[in-house]
Amino acid sequence: MLLTALISGLVLGGTYALVAMGLTLQYGISRIMNLAYGEITIFAAFSAFILFSTFGINPLLGMAIVLPGAFVFGYLIYGVMMQPLVSRSSRTGSLEVDSILATFGLLFVIQGVMLITFGSNYTSYNYLNFGVNVLGANIAANRLLAFALAIVIGGVLFLVLTRTRWGTTIRAIAVAPASAPLVGINVNRTARFAFALGTMLAASGGVMVSMYQTFNASMGVVFTMKALVIVIMGGLGNLMGALVAGLLLGLVETFVATYVDPGLTLASTYLIFLVVLLWKPAGLFGKAAGR
Amino acid sequence: MTRTIIGFVLVGLALLALAFMPTQLGAYGVGLLLGMTGYVTLASAWALFSGPTRYISLATVAFFGIGAYTVAVLSEAMPYPLVLVTAGLIGLGVALVVGLATLRLAGVYFVIFSFGLAELVRQLVTWYEVNVTGTLGRYIFLPISATEIYWQLLGLAAITLLIGWWISRSRIGLALKVIGDDETVAAHTGIDISRVKLALFAISATIITLVGAIQAPRWTYIEPAIVFNPTVSFLTVIMALLGGANRLWGPMLGAIPLFLLFEWLSANFPNHYSIILGLMFIAIVFIVPRGVVALAEDLFKRARRKEAAQ
Amino acid sequence: MTQLLEITGLKKQFGGLTAVNDVSFSVGEGEIAALLGPNGSGKTTVLNMISGALSPTAGTIALAGERISHLAPHRIAHKGVSRTFQLVKILPSLTVAENVVAALAFRRDPLWGSRATERAHELLAEVGLAGRGGEHADDLTYIDQKRMELARALAAEPRLLLLDEWLSGLNPTELRVGIDLIVSLRDRGMTILLVEHIMEAVRALCSRAVVMNVGNKIAEGPTAEVLADPVVISAYLGEGHA
Repeated sequence: MLLTALISGLVLGGTYALVAMGLTLQYGISRIMNLAYGEITIFAAFSAFILFSTFGINPLLGMAIVLPGAFVFGYLIYGVMMQPLVSRSSRTGSLEVDSILATFGLLFVIQGVMLITFGSNYTSYNYLNFGVNVLGANIAANRLLAFALAIVIGGVLFLVLTRTRWGTTIRAIAVAPASAPLVGINVNRTARFAFALGTMLAASGGVMVSMYQTFNASMGVVFTMKALVIVIMGGLGNLMGALVAGLLLGLVETFVATYVDPGLTLASTYLIFLVVLLWKPAGLFGKAAGR
Repeated sequence: MTRTIIGFVLVGLALLALAFMPTQLGAYGVGLLLGMTGYVTLASAWALFSGPTRYISLATVAFFGIGAYTVAVLSEAMPYPLVLVTAGLIGLGVALVVGLATLRLAGVYFVIFSFGLAELVRQLVTWYEVNVTGTLGRYIFLPISATEIYWQLLGLAAITLLIGWWISRSRIGLALKVIGDDETVAAHTGIDISRVKLALFAISATIITLVGAIQAPRWTYIEPAIVFNPTVSFLTVIMALLGGANRLWGPMLGAIPLFLLFEWLSANFPNHYSIILGLMFIAIVFIVPRGVVALAEDLFKRARRKEAAQ
Repeated sequence: MTQLLEITGLKKQFGGLTAVNDVSFSVGEGEIAALLGPNGSGKTTVLNMISGALSPTAGTIALAGERISHLAPHRIAHKGVSRTFQLVKILPSLTVAENVVAALAFRRDPLWGSRATERAHELLAEVGLAGRGGEHADDLTYIDQKRMELARALAAEPRLLLLDEWLSGLNPTELRVGIDLIVSLRDRGMTILLVEHIMEAVRALCSRAVVMNVGNKIAEGPTAEVLADPVVISAYLGEGHA
């Protein structure tokens, strides 16, 4: 029981960490606080479901369709919606508030589209739904696959950001957005790319979630919320922090669901959030002060 | 001074006229008037805090729902006025806890927290009802007519506007302007920034809780999914923004036309309702980020300047 | 002379960078002291820690024997510390008089209403802005904004006034007036710590000077002596001039 909970927790945490990494890219580099983030995750979950149940495309292949789609969507949204706000903010300095409001509107648009297209019922499908013995604990194969995917995608992302020239560019912007242009970095193009990449990560989390969990059109808020909590716990813009905090949250949720009550998982997320805010507002791994 | 008195007399007369409106309208008309007054109060109360501080609160329905649920739970155990007071106190308590935890920090933490607060409270109430009381959903049998609810809301709306007017002339109002201009200067002139923010958030949240409590008897049947409907938070923000969250009458001017529009939309496009709302919201952020009242003021000033130049 | 401000072992780190390193000095009651040093030597960081804008990594700051380090800026303001800013900070949406009223309304013994307005106009007259309270703070020239900022700092009736390059940017006539104004503040019993690059003013005003370089205190003493110190000269002009 304990071992099962531990492994399930890590598996869930892997998905969370991946989703949160996307959000931290969007906020840390593009400076967009995206409240419609979870809607992308859910939309991707539905897309994977449609691809699987209607066209018989398995989620692994489905990812090859959904992820580029999400990237393009993020790229377009940034160009159409965020770019004007960014250029306006150089005068008003209100990008944060404006982006929060604009994406709050976007949340309702995407949610409305999903409600019309997919209805409001809980949805799920059967894919690799058999148990596998891991160190004596029985874990569903789809969960293990999701975990493996999270590790691969997260690992590639981490290597790209820490080992490539492009990754250095991105991190430079996160640290000093004002000075980046001085060393010849095109902040605008990088911000747009990072936003699109973040959208793609949100979608990849959605495909994984669809493999092992039921979901419905109004669940996006919960995913946004969890991703935000993880990002804050890990320290804004800190990728490694998001990874550790994501795994931690997955563990806590699974343990609360197993040993306390499944109805209290969100409450436990919030409790952690409160404790972190009161105790270490800069995040568990953050250095800068909250203010 | 005389202008203030004339203003108060005019507002008083308008209130009196509004109070008599139900005698001229049918049940549908009263319902419409009631809903509109509710949203005028919500948007004005929201703007009390979020307007000057720029801390966007997305938690309106959390407090609204707390108010409504308190009435549902306590309406048989206590006299009605006491129920309202209790609801207000619970809202105040929650606001203080949330405010103390988040308002010391940068604005984004507060927004994030408020964003999920309604969902959290909804899940907690659901959990409590299922596990402790064993029922999900409650009936409210209170002998309060729609007109009486309307009168209470009208009174609360008037009080909210009065508080807004009083704040704009008081030291708190000046403190808010200073904070809005430059927080460093504010702190160095001796303003306790977090306390000012906390006080305003508490006032705003208590009023919002009371709106929920007063409106509760309209439903007769209540369950978490009904009273914690995120659309309420959404509508409140969009109304206040359209009118202008930094002006006393702004939220009201945004609430009235938008409420009527939403009524029409939800009757005619029940499925596409939230998409249309979302698009309108985005349009408002892009076109009138400071609200129509501020926009009109700007146009007026420009016109006068042109006149002066000629 | 009793010491009003006592700074002991003050240290400030930003990440790996040490901006202020183990700085100790004190300022006597009723004294005008200068905090000097080349650009980037940590002077403004020290002022920011005294006023509470930054909190020290280590060390203590005491005002009249009472520890004020780690207090929030508004609490420190209420203990009797006021300041001006290196890059003048105005409240652009308010009028000139309201800028000063803001400080009167939130000091330890607040003034409000007509009494605050009256007092604000007096203070404005004192800094050379008589009759200009109705103008928008935004519309003032840079120099007049500096004057207004001083009036705002004086509104709190501080025991300790921190001036961060308040005199720089003034023309010779204005400089004379500015120096006289600061002297008159001291004569009323105010203690002043100023960061300044105009040596003429420092010599005229300050009985004592503390010199910093790359975060460390390198000299302290009577102004004339300190300014003649070879270590100080080389810090300002580079090696080879000493």
